[in-house]
Amino acid sequence: MPENTLRKNSKKHKFFINGKMDLTFLFLLLVILTVGLIMLFSASYVYAYTHYGNNYFFIAKQATFAVVGVGIMLFVSRIDYHQLRRFAIPFYIAIVILLVVMLILPPMVSGTTVKRWFSVGPINFQPSELGKFAVILLLSHLIAANQQLMKKFTFGILFLGGLVGLVCVLVVLEPHLSATVLIFLIGAVMMIVGGIQLRWILGGLGVVAAAVVVLLSGVIEYAQDRITYWLNPWAAPVGEGYQTIQSLLSIGSGGLLGRGLGQSRQKYLWVPEPHNDFIFAIVCEELGLIGALIIIALFAFLMWRGFVIAIKAPDKFGSMLALGLTFQVGLQMALNVLVVTNTIPNTGISLPFFSYGGTSLLILLFEMGIILSVSRSSKTKAKL
Amino acid sequence: MAKGPNKSMVLRTIVVWAVMLLVTVGLVGGRLVYIMLIDSEFYQQKAAEQQLYDTELRAERGEIYDRNGELLATSAQVWTVYITPNSFKKVTDEAKRNAIKLEIATGLSSILELDFQTVLDYTNKNTSYVKVKSNVEKPQADAVRQLIAGSKSSLGTYIGLDESSKRYYPNDSLASVTLGFVGSDNQGLSGLEKQYDDELTGIPGRVVAAKDATGNNMPLSYEVEVAAQPGNSLVTTLDSYVQYVCEKYLDQAIIDNKVTERGSVICMNVNTGAILGMAVKGDFDPNSPFTLSASDQAIVDALEGEEKTKKLAELRNKQWRNKAVSDTYEPGSVFKVVTAAMALEEGVTTTSNHYNCSGYIVIAGRRYNCHKRSGHGGQTFINALQNSCNPVFITLGQRLGNKTFSKYFEAFGLTQKTGIDLPGEATPVYHSVNAMGITELASSSFGQTFNISPIQMITAISAAVNGGYLVQPHLVSEIVDANGNTVKTVNTDAKRQVISEQTSKILRTMMEAVVDGGGGKNAYVSGYRIGGKTGTSQKLTQILETGQSNLYIASFCGVAPIDDPEIAVLVILDEPHGDAYYGGTIAAPVGGQILAEILPYLGVNPQYSEEELAKMAVKIPYVTDMSVSAAKAEIKAKGLKYRVVGEGDKVIKQFPTASDSVQSDGVVILYTDETSEALTVTVPDFTGLSVSQANTLATDSNINISFAGASQLLKGVISYKQSIPEGTKVDAGTIVTVYFRTTETAE
Repeated sequence: MPENTLRKNSKKHKFFINGKMDLTFLFLLLVILTVGLIMLFSASYVYAYTHYGNNYFFIAKQATFAVVGVGIMLFVSRIDYHQLRRFAIPFYIAIVILLVVMLILPPMVSGTTVKRWFSVGPINFQPSELGKFAVILLLSHLIAANQQLMKKFTFGILFLGGLVGLVCVLVVLEPHLSATVLIFLIGAVMMIVGGIQLRWILGGLGVVAAAVVVLLSGVIEYAQDRITYWLNPWAAPVGEGYQTIQSLLSIGSGGLLGRGLGQSRQKYLWVPEPHNDFIFAIVCEELGLIGALIIIALFAFLMWRGFVIAIKAPDKFGSMLALGLTFQVGLQMALNVLVVTNTIPNTGISLPFFSYGGTSLLILLFEMGIILSVSRSSKTKAKL
Repeated sequence: MAKGPNKSMVLRTIVVWAVMLLVTVGLVGGRLVYIMLIDSEFYQQKAAEQQLYDTELRAERGEIYDRNGELLATSAQVWTVYITPNSFKKVTDEAKRNAIKLEIATGLSSILELDFQTVLDYTNKNTSYVKVKSNVEKPQADAVRQLIAGSKSSLGTYIGLDESSKRYYPNDSLASVTLGFVGSDNQGLSGLEKQYDDELTGIPGRVVAAKDATGNNMPLSYEVEVAAQPGNSLVTTLDSYVQYVCEKYLDQAIIDNKVTERGSVICMNVNTGAILGMAVKGDFDPNSPFTLSASDQAIVDALEGEEKTKKLAELRNKQWRNKAVSDTYEPGSVFKVVTAAMALEEGVTTTSNHYNCSGYIVIAGRRYNCHKRSGHGGQTFINALQNSCNPVFITLGQRLGNKTFSKYFEAFGLTQKTGIDLPGEATPVYHSVNAMGITELASSSFGQTFNISPIQMITAISAAVNGGYLVQPHLVSEIVDANGNTVKTVNTDAKRQVISEQTSKILRTMMEAVVDGGGGKNAYVSGYRIGGKTGTSQKLTQILETGQSNLYIASFCGVAPIDDPEIAVLVILDEPHGDAYYGGTIAAPVGGQILAEILPYLGVNPQYSEEELAKMAVKIPYVTDMSVSAAKAEIKAKGLKYRVVGEGDKVIKQFPTASDSVQSDGVVILYTDETSEALTVTVPDFTGLSVSQANTLATDSNINISFAGASQLLKGVISYKQSIPEGTKVDAGTIVTVYFRTTETAE
């Protein structure tokens, strides 16, 4: 049975809702956020002091964003997520235009050739962050609205795939490979869950496998160096391999129990920018294997709750939305740790709720608010 | 109503969750376990390598003292001053940067006594470190620190000081060969420094500190310090003054006699084996051990390429080599004391036995000449040692037989190293019992055809005169730690008794006879009873090798006081090329000169005979400010002459000054007014004269003389050297030391 149109649907929904939100999800999220802030402070103060003369340079900003972000999250959780549906298409179009404009304009952050940063006054953010959300929102809307078309190749694969692919292409041109991979995988997972046929899934896996083989074979020169130094970072201990080596030294130094909170030595300017993508290396060094596994478990639990919310969602739009956003957090965490441990080649993926970045955190918490909003409308009867 | 996710979506969501769980827990977790547990040690070690800086803390090297506590070797703190030219790049303003460079170049060049432009060039180098000067001592280092502190340009960013340690030998070349020297890491490379390197070195401490990627210390309590343990110090048996005296006379003898293969002197306590002095010349300054003497350097400079390198190494090794311990020689006639000891102990002769020397002896068909070809004729055994008569000692050797000879040879410690605490002691080369035929026995009896080291020879002589006890020669008496506590004391017990007290006593008498009326006359010291034996050995191996015929080693071993021996002195001059080469002529005077100075210093009181007293030098009285008549009377009373210069009636100046010693009949010049010019005279040639001729010449020339050497023997002594060269213009009354010796020595 087809769902109602966007217009009808949105009219049916109130602006605010009052259902009980998923407190387990909220609790796990706040625990992760708190641990993340503590670790950010621990990882960043040496760097902050050295470069800015202020131990609290990063943590003060990040904590402020976290407080504001939690407020936004709680506020968003009270807004009926169906209100978002009317923005799905315009927001996607707006993001595509923004990405195209970014490619045309010269780089907005001086000193780099990459065009992944967008500056509005003092705020720098990556449109690709919003691109992820735009894709999740659009796919949720389209999949929910056209459930019966999902099995068709033209819609399920070509049309939806094309929409995801367009953003992917624009982002990879910035170039921002890691965001491309994220958007691609998020889109793929949403399409899979959304109902595309099994054979296309297998076909898609085949394409991904082929892409990996092509990358590894060294045909693409741009990726060649990364792969070389991924396989053997020690080949360039002070060059391309430096960051990876320092990360591994940090993780390996942690051992089972770690050096103890605040006791990392690698954060003493050995690991470059320890507050950014490589913060997990410092976490490992200070909290040890036990601490690292507990944090990963927290993320796994959070994902579990997110998926439960998706399953218990009252409609397919909410379900897809919760699924996409939850998957995004889980995927980013997994890829980040895989990069930090040099399991996959080094791409810039931040660790959600840990890595420094105010706007990124705000967007993330806004998205978590949406998941909570979905949870407020959940079918209480649903098992799981 | 919208419907929730359908069955397929739920199922696929669960599959996605399962895959994610597999990825996160399985792959990520597994990878973390691998890195953090299995490979952890590897990464921890790598991390430690980059984070931890292990700095060694220098252990202060122990000092070396002489027996009176005088410092012979010590270590001082020094600094290396360096600059870091790359840090100038931080200063972006060029004018300011140049001003700082100028300030540094000006300051450092004046403090460190360097060329201004050189230092300025250092600042313009494109490196992170330039050593400006090493071995900078404390006052200069402090001045550099003040320069840094007193500047407004925070010079500490560009200038640094590294502390290190430098070995100092306050007496320069004194005892250099014996003390040795250290290398760049303060490790002992020769001499006592090498022998006792472990004791002196101490145990270095360590500081382990954690540093960040820019090299700054982490502000954490990672620092672990293990304090350095300073090295122990050596108290040696050396006596700086004795050493100085030995070196002074050895040095002079080498020059006077044109000795080409260096010389050595050992001065040893015969009862304990303590070495009071061990001199080797030409030596080196251990403060800069690689510097050659000017003459050696000239030889090296004349060469090119590989030859030059080879020669440089050869000459350096030569100047470092301890000739007294590491080289062997054929002792020659000095060894006859040992043969005499054997013969007396075994009863194959007595002192009064009569021998006849016809100038040679034939043993097993081989003719052995005496050095006196005409022969010594009839003589007692005492005369035979005085005359150093070869045939007599060959006869005694034959009487002893090879077994007995070898038994004593070994008992006197001549078959083994003495075990003196110095590196590189030479191993003796000798005829073993079985290899010793009649002819080998014959030549060994008078000290030829075997090689021993000087330290072995003096140890054997010591045993012969000290009552028969073979002592352990040694240089270190005590090892003390940094707090002055004794760590180890050296045992001075004798190793064994070789001959009886009675035999030893007879030998002392015989050796005294050698100095009093035999071949050792030139070692005579007025007021002391000296015994000794001279030796002149042909360097047969070298003669065969080089084809030169005049290669000798002249030696003398003296013992004093001979009635109760304390000190033995062995003088060796290797290859003299002067007008004489006999040990009795050129080595014995050195022994005498040394003993004459050190015996009074060591507290042995002279006992002058009346004859000696009559010939003693006179101390000049103090007559300045006296009236001329009173001064004249005073001088006359001392048996001296005077000469008045000037018209005054009061002595305002005298020459020589009071308490200088001159021979009786000496002259004192009395100046009685300010206007008269000092009376000058020309020093005549005092060599080749008898004592009375010298006295006459001195009086005639208005010059005072003081006698040195065997002057008191009168009969047959001839002057051979004077302290001020002939033709020098000097003030009248100046004292010229004139050296006498007898040429009537046995060999």
